[in-house]
Parts: sequence; structure tokens; C-alpha cells
Amino acid sequence: MSDSRMTSDAPAEDVVDTPTTPASPGSWDTRSEEVLASSALTASSRTGDVPAVKGKARRPGGRRGAVDPVKALMHRHRELCEQAVDPLEIAAGLEAHGVTDRTAARFRHRDVFSLAEEMYARAERDEESAPASSEPAGSVAGPQVPVGWAAFAMLPGAVCAMAVAALDFTSGSAKLFAGLLGAIAVGIALRVALRQGPLRVRGRQVPATRAWTGFLLAYALVGEGLLDGILAGGPDGPWPLHTAPLLGLALAVAPAAVCARLFAVQSARTLALSRGLDDFASAVRPLLCGVFAVFLAVATGLLLASGAVLGEGARGVGPAVALGALLLLARLLEVHGFPDAGALMLGAACAAEALALATALGGRLPGFGFLSAPVESVASAWGPGAVPVLICGGAAAVLLAHAMRRLTRASAHAEAVR
Amino acid sequence: MRIGLLTEGGYPYVTGEARLWCDRLVRGLDRHEFDIFALSRSAHQEEQGWIQLPPQVHRVRTAPLWTAEDDGVVYGRRARRRFATHWGELAAAVCAEGETAADRFANALYGLADLEREEGGLAAALRSEAAVDALEKACRAPGAPRAARQARVADLLTVTGLIERTLRPLSLDWYEEVEGGLGAVDLCHAASGGAAALPGLLAKHFYGVPLLVTEYGVQLRAHYLGAAGALSAPARALLAGFHGRLATEVYRQAALITPGNTHARRWQERCGADKAKLRTVYPGMEVSRFAEVGESADLADPDTLVWVGRIEPSKDLIALLHAFAEVRKEEPKVRLRIIGAPADGPEAATYLAHCTTLAAQLFPDEAEGVHAVGDNPVSFEEIGGPEVPELADAYAAGSVVVLSSVVEGFPISLVEAMFCGRATVSTDVGAVVEVIGGTGLVVPPRNPRALADACLALLRDPERRDRLGAAARARALELFTVDQNIAAFRSIYLEIVARHPVRREGLDESGEPQPFANPAEVFLPGRWGPSGRSGLEESGASGPSWAADGAAAEASQPAEASTDGVSDGDEPVGVGAAGEGER
Repeated sequence: MSDSRMTSDAPAEDVVDTPTTPASPGSWDTRSEEVLASSALTASSRTGDVPAVKGKARRPGGRRGAVDPVKALMHRHRELCEQAVDPLEIAAGLEAHGVTDRTAARFRHRDVFSLAEEMYARAERDEESAPASSEPAGSVAGPQVPVGWAAFAMLPGAVCAMAVAALDFTSGSAKLFAGLLGAIAVGIALRVALRQGPLRVRGRQVPATRAWTGFLLAYALVGEGLLDGILAGGPDGPWPLHTAPLLGLALAVAPAAVCARLFAVQSARTLALSRGLDDFASAVRPLLCGVFAVFLAVATGLLLASGAVLGEGARGVGPAVALGALLLLARLLEVHGFPDAGALMLGAACAAEALALATALGGRLPGFGFLSAPVESVASAWGPGAVPVLICGGAAAVLLAHAMRRLTRASAHAEAVR
Repeated sequence: MRIGLLTEGGYPYVTGEARLWCDRLVRGLDRHEFDIFALSRSAHQEEQGWIQLPPQVHRVRTAPLWTAEDDGVVYGRRARRRFATHWGELAAAVCAEGETAADRFANALYGLADLEREEGGLAAALRSEAAVDALEKACRAPGAPRAARQARVADLLTVTGLIERTLRPLSLDWYEEVEGGLGAVDLCHAASGGAAALPGLLAKHFYGVPLLVTEYGVQLRAHYLGAAGALSAPARALLAGFHGRLATEVYRQAALITPGNTHARRWQERCGADKAKLRTVYPGMEVSRFAEVGESADLADPDTLVWVGRIEPSKDLIALLHAFAEVRKEEPKVRLRIIGAPADGPEAATYLAHCTTLAAQLFPDEAEGVHAVGDNPVSFEEIGGPEVPELADAYAAGSVVVLSSVVEGFPISLVEAMFCGRATVSTDVGAVVEVIGGTGLVVPPRNPRALADACLALLRDPERRDRLGAAARARALELFTVDQNIAAFRSIYLEIVARHPVRREGLDESGEPQPFANPAEVFLPGRWGPSGRSGLEESGASGPSWAADGAAAEASQPAEASTDGVSDGDEPVGVGAAGEGER
């Protein structure tokens, strides 16, 4: 404010303000004086493109210098004039800087609105002659995440590793106790990791999703051994648990969060840059594929590593990777506001796995041998791990196709700009 | 009669805007029934609770504007097509120019309202891809503003999000004809434009309830100055189009519009308000606390200039100090008292420090003699200190009140000075000229020399000072009291109900129209029945409360004249409004 002083050259005795033509736009700092001086020099060659001010002839010699006062006013409010999208915005801005209808009268305008209209028209013409640089700033932060989300994302992996170690070092009822405690601890860690970070769901959630996820994880732990036992005629006594896939999946929460963050930030950046909805979709599609592929690669590595450490080898890796892909896609869709498809496919995968177990058992009934035929043929061809691979992989493929359509829409990323 | 008072982000909540005048209005018009329909702006505001409501408020219905509930409705094919048609039309109208755009906007808005009323699910639909897609098409259409044509995807999302937010009143369950709904009131009074007036528009659309819009600050202008700041140019262009069309539609549908001052009135006219519908109703201010100072005969210190207000850069105290330096050259005895606290924020505190330093540099401390302790002729004080315990004492402290602002809206401190009967010198900014109206001196802003000359003229002429002070007090008592505000709204309510009565068809239990369900008395203004009072009696019977006051009877001559003006004329403002209409 204080740098935009406007001095009126009205006679000082004239106490009540009478509208007069300003003799000069006033000088408010040296830089603008220079600008005025230079425009005064070129004014004679530019008089043609300065529009005549509202219906009145210019009074020759009436003002000091040859600068028209509106131009000086525009220079003083140049930011306002450059950014304004319509005359009313300039009028509002001028009024906020103390310009009244009486002031406008000194610029030979009836009111602030018509003064603003002239300023808008002239600013627009100036803008057209000089192409505006309309590239937005490159720093797009993406949606807000709490500080330290990466640490939270590593929590499930760490807790799960400790639980697995505790299971190894205990036996008997202590082992059971350690297992229960470990399961609860991993559950809490998972909840914290999902709530505090890029995988957080802000919108609607389908409650069944949690139950389906629990079932699928339980199947990864016990399912393969159980199916193996059933097909072999058992199970006789406790069958082996596979902790390596669970440990690998818990470790994979961190890359999943990183991938989700990467996707959110990059899509927000694309959002700010793309000119149309089609541009946006075609730019986000490869991004989604890339992020998903990165997750698959990292998850496979983690599962192989956990298998090697726990001495279970690579046999549980396939089902766990398929399950991890399914869970990530379901969560991504949920985060971006489409919880239904994920819940549906998770439920379908659960039903298919339960059905596989049930048909394998049902085949033992006399006359119902045909029931277990599909599961048996799959298991005999590729091993019992192939059943969840097929089920979860199929569900994940369907979800991927769905995500390719839904997550490439701009409306799925509206949170990033609101 | 029953008034539906529509507010947004203020009354009846403890925090927020416009709650003071709404409260005074509701309390002042105690013979009408009020149903309050309030939109809240934040969870924080809802937690703060309501103010104490008088018994004439029968019902309060609130709805949050800050959050949208997803009603889980998924459109079928026909509803989807209807939405696409109306929303596409709305977007096209926002981007289009010219006369037909207003009609298209209105039709699309009511189309969306009808759809929402029948099907629901508007919030989800506005957040869907189809909505963004339609807006993109509208932006790329020929004839769209240049800024809108450059809209990027992020801008489209921002704009649909903000429009969805503004259109949330469409999804409310207020639009029903039963007791407690907007269909059952006789008049909707929107306390501001924009989102608050939207339920009134729909009540008019669904039930033909007349709408009265009061704007002390124009919503469209507030939009330009406030919300739009952080957005990109295309988003601002689109939102400006939307809010402009919405304002136009509100002004078109309103039965009467009451701007709070000429400035608001000019904006409303600019946005397409019909001049015949405009009635300026000045805000009312509590006058009783200034009565003692205004009526006291003992003279104020003739050598003291007073400035009262919140200290911030836009008040231009620097010019005041320079002007005071000029005054001191001519009249060395004069003192200047600057009374007020700095406004919020570090900028204002820095400014105050700057001003104190400048004052210390310009004016050395002075003492009466060699042995006395001196002090500075310019003093900075706060209200509540030992010298000025009350606001009225601040004005009583000097004989001339100075206002040196470069930016001003409605100058409240000037009105208070007028109530105190003080001669004033003010700068020609904002609504100053309109408020002072010849009862004080006005100089151009940023002209210390002129300010000093005006002050000197008043300091040297006690008679002129008294004359101007008395005239200012008379003018303020006529135009800016709470009573004139309430009286104006009382007559405006009666005028609207007389000219735009709601025709409700009586229905019997089976839903068939029932002839003669509404007797003629229904259309009489005011309450009818056992009490037997009619609205006409009501408006005549109530005089301003201070007119009956014993103290007020001894007021100075011009003040009495204005007392008569208010109590026997039912429309003191109407006269002023007509005068302005001819201008």
C-alpha cells in the first residue's frame, strides 16, 4: 500500500474533493519513474493504439508530460491487471485499494466499473501481443501424508519378523501363545501402516474388505498345507505352516506404500500439466503399469529372500505374489474412491479358495469323485500352490483391467487438488 | 407471518458473520414467527454452539456446507442422461456470454434441483467423471472465455469441486410444504447472497415463496477478493462465471433486494439487479452507549484531535501525523490522541511501531515550564486504559474526530463519531461520503495538506464545529439506528407479502384440492386469531425504544427532528432509496 501513493494536484485550499483531471500520475518510486519517462519518449509513436478515453476530447497541455493517467494506474496495479479474468475482478481489486467513483472521475470515467473495463481491455490487448507463459509451477506435492509414513510402512515387516523369530525360538504352549500374540501385533502394525500414509482411505470403505483380506492371509499361512493334506487323504495331525509368504507380504507393505505414493505424486503432477482428460488418461496408464510392475518385482524379491532365510525355499512365492498384487490393486482402488470392485474381487477370491478346499474334501464322498477332479488335476500338474496362484492371479488380472479404466480418470485424483 | 431466515456461516452460531444484525432483527420483529435455516461453515463453528434465541424463533434447521454426505444413490440410465443434460447446460451457461446465458443457467439449475429432489445422488454425480467431462467440453466450446479455454485437468477438478460445494444446499431436505419446511413459510429472507440465497431460490421455484435478499457485502465481490486468490486463472474465470450467473439469478428472482449501502447497491445493479427492486437499508448500530456523550452540553477539549479505530496500514496514520505537523505549525497548542489497538497480525504491530517512531521524530516532548515533566503532543492509547475506559469516552476526548483511511468499507468509527455529535474530518474513501452526507468535512485521501487545512478550519471555528456535530448526530440518528433498520425491514416484509403472497392450495386427506381451505384472513399480514392484532396496528404501534426514553426527549433540536422522522414515517429508508434511485 504505502508504495502506491497517489498524489492529487488539486489545490490544497480546496478542502472538499472536487473531481479534476490529474495533472500527473504521480511518482511513487524511481523504477516506475523510469518507466514513465521511457513511455513518455515513445508516446508520440504510440498514440495510435491508445484508445480514446470515453467520449471526451483530450485537453491539450492539460497535464504534465504526455502519459495517460490510466496507463499509470495500470502500471501501479499491473499484477491485478495481468491476472484478472474479467473487468469485475479489476473493479473489486481497485476498490480494495481505495479507488472510488470519485477517483474514477479523475480518470474521466463514470464509475469504477467502466474504469476497470478500460483497464481490462487494454491489459488483454497487451497480453495478446506478448504471449503469456502459462506453464504452472513444477512443484506439485500430491496429497498430504503424515511425516514419517515410510517408517510406519516398515512397521508390519519388522513386527512380523519378530513374531516369526519368536515362533522359531519357542515350543509347545509358549509357541501357541507367541503365535497369537504375533498375529495380534502384526494386525495392529498393519492397521497403523495403512492409516498413516499413502494407503490411507479417506472416502467410503466396504467393511467386508477387512474380513476377506484376513481370510486370504490365513489361507496363505495354512491353506497350502491343508490342501496338500486333504489331497493326500489326511490331514493327519497338524500340517506345516508357511510363515515365509506372510513375512514376505508384511515386508512388501513398505514397497506398496512407496508405490502408492509414487503413483499419487506422479498422477497429481500429470494432472497439473495435462490439457485434457484424454491426455491425462494416456499419461497415467503407463504410470500405473510401471508402478504395478515395480511392486511385483520388489515383492517377488522380498518373498524369495524371506523364503531363503526361513528355509522354505521358493515354493510359496507364486501364491504370495499373486495375493500381494490383488491386495495392492484392491487398496489402490479403495484409496481413489472405488471400494466396491476391490471388495467384490477379494470376496470372490475367498469364495473360490474356500470352494477349492470344500470340493477337495467333497470328492471323498462316494459318488462325488468328480467334485475334486479340477483341484486334483491342477495340484498334480503344478503342485498345490497353483490353486491360489490361479485364483488370486485371476482376480488380480480382473482388478488390473478395472484399475486401468478407473484410476486413469481425472475424477479419481480429485483429492489431490482439493 | 412466518419468515424463513436463511443464513450462511453466521447466525445463530456464536461465531461468524452477520449474527449481530440478524439477532437484532429477530428480536426487533417479535410479532412475526421466524424459522431459521442456517448453513454452517466448519465443524469448529458447529461445536461453538448457538447464541440465545428469542421465543419468536420457532425452529432452527442447520446443515453443514463444509461436508457432503454421500447418499449412496447410483443413477440409472435416465437419471444419468438427465444429469448430463442439465449439468452440461449449466457448464455451457457458465462459459457463455450474453443475455441467454442467464436463462440457460437458471433452467439448468432448477433442472438439477428437480433431479436431486426426485432421485438424490447429486453430490456423487458432481464428483464423477461425467461432470468433469461436460465441463471440459464447455470450456473447449467456441465462445468460451479465453482464460477458460486454457483450463487444465486440475482446474476442471477444482472448479467442479467448488461448484459442488456451493450447490450443496440443493441436496437438503428443507424443501417440503409441511410445518418446518421452506414451503410452509410466507417469506424467505436471505441474510446474504450466494449459497445462503440458494435455498430461497429453490423455495421460490418449488412453492412460489417470495425471496428477500439482504447483502451488506456483495458475495460476488467477496469471491473476487477472497476465495479466488489462490486459484489459477482458468479456474477463477470459470468460478467467476458461475458466481456471476448465480448472483444474477438470485437478483432476478428476489422480490426485493436490500443492499446495506450504496456501494453494495452499485455492485448489485452491475450484476443485473432491477433498480426498482433495490431498497438500501443501512446497518443499524447500538446508539444508547453514545447517548450520554452525544447529548451532553459540556464542551470537549477544544484543542484535541481524536482518531479512533483499529490501527493498520490502510488507515494511513502516517498521513495523519504529517497533517498534524502542519496543524501544529499554525496552532501549537493542539494535541492528537490516537485511540485504538493494532489489528491482528504482525504487519499491524510493525505499522504501529513505525507510527510511534515517526510521531516521536516529528514531535519532541513538551513541558509547560522548566520544572515540569513533559510529554508528547501525540498520544497512542487503547480503549480500556485509565484515560479512555469506554468507546464513547474516546470520542468524547476531542472536539474534532479525524478519519485518515485510504481504504474503507462502511466506516463504523465515523458513524460512532456522528452519534457522539462530533465534527469530523474524513478522507473520501469507501462509503464515507454517503455516510457523512455534508455533516462533516471530506478531503481527498493521501493529502495531508488538505487534511490539515480542514482540521484547522474546524479547530478555529467552534460554532461551525457545534453545528456540524449536531447535524451529524441528527443524520446518524435518522439513518443508522437499530430502530430504523428494523422498521425498514418490517415495512419491507409487509410490502413483499402484500405483493407476492404465497398461494397455497388446500388439500384434503386424499390429496384432492379442497376449495375454501384458506379463508381470506390467511392473506392478512400479521398474526390473526385470538390476539386479534393485525399487522397494520403492529407497525404503527411500535416506536423506537429511545423515543419513549426520558433522556431522549431532552435531546438537542436536530436530534428531536430526526426522532419524529423515524417514529411517524414507516419508511425512512424508502425515502432515501427513492432519492438514490433517481440518481
